[in-house]
Amino acid sequence: MNETNPFEAEIAVEPPPLPLNAVRFLGVERAFWRLLLRGSALLLVTLGLYRFWLVTDVRRYLWNNTEIAVDALDYTGTAGELLIGFLIAIALLLPIYAVFYLGALAPGAVARGASVAAFLLLALLGQFAVYRARRYRLSRTVYRGIRFHQTGSAWRYAVCATFWWSMIGLTLGLAYPWAQASLERFKLRNTFYGDLQGQFVGSGTALFFRGIALWLLVVAPLVLGLFVAVGAVDWNVIGEALKRGGREAFRSAEAAGAAQAAAFATLALSWSLIALAVLYPAFQAMVLRWWISGLRFGKLTVTSHLRTSAVYSLYWRFVWISVVTGMLGAFLGFIAYAVVAAIGRASLGGAALELAQSATFVGFYVIAALGYSAIYQATVTLRLWKNGFESLELANVEVLDRVKAVPARATAVGEGIADALSLGGI
Amino acid sequence: MAAAGKGVFFDGATSARRLVLVELAPEHLVVRDEEHRDMLARWRYDRLDQRPAPAGVLRLGEIGAAVPARLDVRDAALIAAIDDASVPVDRSGATERRIRRKVVFWSLVAVVVLVLAAVFGVPALADRLAPLLPLRAERMLGAAVDGQIRRMLDKTDGREALDCGEGSGETAGRAALLKMIGKLEAAAALPVPLDARVIRRSEANAIALPGGRIYIFEGLIGKAENADEVAGVIAHEIGHVAHRDGTRSILQSAGLSFLFGMLLGDFVGGGAVVIGARAVLQSSYSREVEGAADRYGVELMARAGGNPRALGAVLDRLAGAIHPGIEILSDHPDTQARVRVINSLSPAAPPPQPFLEPSEWAALKLICKGR
Repeated sequence: MNETNPFEAEIAVEPPPLPLNAVRFLGVERAFWRLLLRGSALLLVTLGLYRFWLVTDVRRYLWNNTEIAVDALDYTGTAGELLIGFLIAIALLLPIYAVFYLGALAPGAVARGASVAAFLLLALLGQFAVYRARRYRLSRTVYRGIRFHQTGSAWRYAVCATFWWSMIGLTLGLAYPWAQASLERFKLRNTFYGDLQGQFVGSGTALFFRGIALWLLVVAPLVLGLFVAVGAVDWNVIGEALKRGGREAFRSAEAAGAAQAAAFATLALSWSLIALAVLYPAFQAMVLRWWISGLRFGKLTVTSHLRTSAVYSLYWRFVWISVVTGMLGAFLGFIAYAVVAAIGRASLGGAALELAQSATFVGFYVIAALGYSAIYQATVTLRLWKNGFESLELANVEVLDRVKAVPARATAVGEGIADALSLGGI
Repeated sequence: MAAAGKGVFFDGATSARRLVLVELAPEHLVVRDEEHRDMLARWRYDRLDQRPAPAGVLRLGEIGAAVPARLDVRDAALIAAIDDASVPVDRSGATERRIRRKVVFWSLVAVVVLVLAAVFGVPALADRLAPLLPLRAERMLGAAVDGQIRRMLDKTDGREALDCGEGSGETAGRAALLKMIGKLEAAAALPVPLDARVIRRSEANAIALPGGRIYIFEGLIGKAENADEVAGVIAHEIGHVAHRDGTRSILQSAGLSFLFGMLLGDFVGGGAVVIGARAVLQSSYSREVEGAADRYGVELMARAGGNPRALGAVLDRLAGAIHPGIEILSDHPDTQARVRVINSLSPAAPPPQPFLEPSEWAALKLICKGR
């Protein structure tokens, strides 16, 4: 097999002259597919242990093929660092899990207290991990011989993020723009390229007015639908019926309008789900444009010209590739299952046959999940990265020529808890 | 061979982009400023770090350097010359592939060790730990899983109670059940009190939880031909209680979910692996466990004055009528073999008296029918 290093030249070409304020992604989709498919196969046989190497490969491919003002980024993280960080996180999480496992066995109030505390702690730890993982990725990003780095307390970020996400939940998503603006301000003012401090100038209010139409189309009908449905039901009748119990209750509930209300609520829910699926790319494009255009590094300003249609077309590509592969996979899976069943019936007993069938099923499920993830990364992740970067317009790039390195305070322990809680991201 | 060529250099101290001259000295790669020829870097060939770069670019750093200084070369002839001079620089990717093969090999070794730990280590550990657990803790464990198990078993949609024997017409059936359990419990002399209940489920089955609770499915009583058959199944379940099998399987599944879920992390589809592994491994544990419970059941029935062969008879009859779904009987080892073992352990002559009086057996048959 003609196996080449995916980072190497397929055809050695002199790059065309490039305006200094442009960003290019030079990755080749075929090479990325190859990387992902090989990685997925290895994930399968190593029960997932290979993920540290696959994640590192993916990042290297994305980073090192991205040229900003002629020079490419360099991802210097290694899989070994991720693995060590993961083992440390396991050692730290194990006692917490043990306490909550034992707490859950304790009677009544203690158990409830323990599970509430566990939920809160895990929410906080999750956000803590997100921030630390970002710090790791930045500290492993080199551009023009200078590292990025991140300062700031991860615990403080975790508290802020948990607060804002609860706000988003309580306001049914209306707080999202201000939450994002606040958290991004925190992240960016703690982000440095050498001695150049980042800054986020995106306004939550501006995002709110851009996005309110989407909210009205997706969330508002659901809220309204549920509200009307709840109002349409005569709850006193239902309460009485429940007290009496039995089949009688169902008839009374129908009389109280429960059936129509349920139908109405279902209608509202399906509308919202369809609207969500149809409008999600528009939402993502909008937030991405807003976010990128809000980034500043000193005098360097960034503007995003990401087109909504580009995001739609990459999702559309993802959908059709998934559907075609899915049908093909289902067909092959069905044949495999039938073969196992036929061989099993001929030569194995009842229990062994059932075992073989459930093993085939689990295998099929895992392969489907891995395949789906590979397709998603090769279509959505790669294209979003490429389109997101290539639609950038930089101004005042000359500040990038005068950045000084600061003594590194990089950690050596990878992403730790983020991986243990599976929050890695790209 | 090109002994020199042009490149772009970043010294790691500032982000300034410098056009440089790259010279290939005998031991070192030397980087000089293009204009005033100052030496900017001098890297030994065996310390060169080839960084991934876009097509047509060779990007170098220095292994173990404090700052990430970088040299980009686009001149194809110069790239080839550097590749020839330096061992770590390898554009064919062969070095990288060799390292990767090592990674894959050791990952596979780790997987084998984990699977061995799951197959042998976790059950052995659970076997050692289960008897050490105090009875109080075992009852708490039982109470903790009871709620969840009841929710899983409850198919009545809230129209009826899950437990039988609570309606006004079911008191006689309940009395018969209590008599049956009383006889078995007296013979078994367990350290925990038994708490047996009949529940409204159409399958012919019974399950035992840690701490002494036993659920007998309505379908079992419906399909049994006499009281000894029901008593035989309950005696088998009492075997699980006496052997602490429920506690053991909870410890095992906790161990397995830690091993596979936590250690391997949730790579896509990891959850399915955990569930699958648990199902596969636990059904293979249950073979010996079921055999032990059968032997216990046979002995207990003999001591309590029942017919030990009845368990074999009911298993034999029900083997053809197994429903899919949550089917505890399907975990059981092949029925034919079990029946043979049960019969070989049982005395040849059945006891003169049935386990319950005919009127009591008739009442037990109606334990779920008397609302």
